[in-house]
Amino acid sequence: MSISVTVNKASNAIELSILGSFDFSLFHDFREAYSGFIGEQHHFIVDLSQVEYLDSAALGMLLSMKNALGEGATIELKGANDFIKNILMISRFDKRFEIR
Amino acid sequence: MKLLCVDSEPVYQEIVSICAQKEDMEVITASSYDEAIKSYEEHKPDIVTLEVVLQGGSGQELAKRLKALDPERFVPIIFLTSHISDAVMNACFKAGADDFIPKPFNEMLFSTRISTHKRQIHLIQEMYRKNRELTFYQAMIEREHKMAHQVLDHILTRSERPSQKLAITRLSATNFNGDLALACTRSDGARVVFVGDFTGHGLSASIGALPVAQAFFDGVDHHVGLADLAIQLNRILLNILPDYMFCAAYIILIRPSGVIEYWGGGMPNGYIRRADNSVDYIASSHMPLGILGVNEFETSIEIAHIDELDTLVIASDGIVELKNADHEMLGSNAMEALVVSSYADQDLAKAQEAMEAHLAAFQGKSEQLDDITLVAIRKV
Repeated sequence: MSISVTVNKASNAIELSILGSFDFSLFHDFREAYSGFIGEQHHFIVDLSQVEYLDSAALGMLLSMKNALGEGATIELKGANDFIKNILMISRFDKRFEIR
Repeated sequence: MKLLCVDSEPVYQEIVSICAQKEDMEVITASSYDEAIKSYEEHKPDIVTLEVVLQGGSGQELAKRLKALDPERFVPIIFLTSHISDAVMNACFKAGADDFIPKPFNEMLFSTRISTHKRQIHLIQEMYRKNRELTFYQAMIEREHKMAHQVLDHILTRSERPSQKLAITRLSATNFNGDLALACTRSDGARVVFVGDFTGHGLSASIGALPVAQAFFDGVDHHVGLADLAIQLNRILLNILPDYMFCAAYIILIRPSGVIEYWGGGMPNGYIRRADNSVDYIASSHMPLGILGVNEFETSIEIAHIDELDTLVIASDGIVELKNADHEMLGSNAMEALVVSSYADQDLAKAQEAMEAHLAAFQGKSEQLDDITLVAIRKV
């Protein structure tokens, strides 16, 4: 499985780590990874440090996650390499996500 | 499951039958080469046991024949023989044997081997089944991509024809990746161009294209301002697309004076190739269309300017991601160099052809996975 979920008790955040290619093949797994926390948790971290490639389907999946979690939730995208950070910035994902 | 036992000695036929029946197998026996072929065709067994020496021919020849009779099916052939030299064993495997058991054999060992082969048969049958399913889905997806292209071709019939001021190239791949380029000149001489890239592939990527094209051409007909056009397209896409889909786009208006107004969301930089070989850029500053609600959507418009013989070049990300035979991407630096060299030509159609030729040369024999859209615009 290329997505792992950890609950960080200290910071009360849910961390989703993605490994390899972040693309359409993870559509269901990605949704499954956060859907159990909808309405229960408010801070999420998506760790992109192990992601080599990300396509527009992945951007859509992140937007869908944001929608599902609602306005009250924050999602931090962390560890993106320069190539991926550039993709996120071209699409102005900084407007919806905290990019670190 | 059925086992075909080919052995000229009745005693072995009997032993094999008893062992195989304990493994819940129905047993068919054959004593000669010809009888074996006849039984194989008639009963379609799942496993075959063979003696090397047979009446009417050799076991190895028979193994080759049987494997060739029904190549679509995986039927393990087990040699069960008293000829146990390495050379014979080697010849048996070369003839297509899947296993080799010397006579006299231990009953328990025989049973274990049979159940191993049964397990393998199940695995391979499962693989065949999955393979058929995959072939089916692949055919379905190919059909959907064709339909998506057809939808798009229909839309493009309303777009402006190429000229010395406008060139639109679309290099079609088997996959439809959601690229859309539209152009239309207003009655006041201003030209409006839409270059977009929908998320996803295939039919799903094309569903947004029809309403976008409709709203684009209506908007141009009614001289709707760029900001209002962007608001409309955003609203349409927000309404019809699921939340994981959007459309990165440039909406561009070029006035006869050379003033360019543009709205860009989620697209890579566009190039303004100056007549003096220098390059300026236009950049997206917004989120793509179809994400932000009416209250959040931003309509600020950027301004640029082109003179006679300057060329504005917009490409979908398929171009910089184009791969050569060594799987290396073209990249934005090489792309920029191609833009500078190709559009030196004063004849826009020829410049565009040169650009296409460079891209084809880079690509070589590697397969193009995505559609590629390349739009070049000069002052009206």
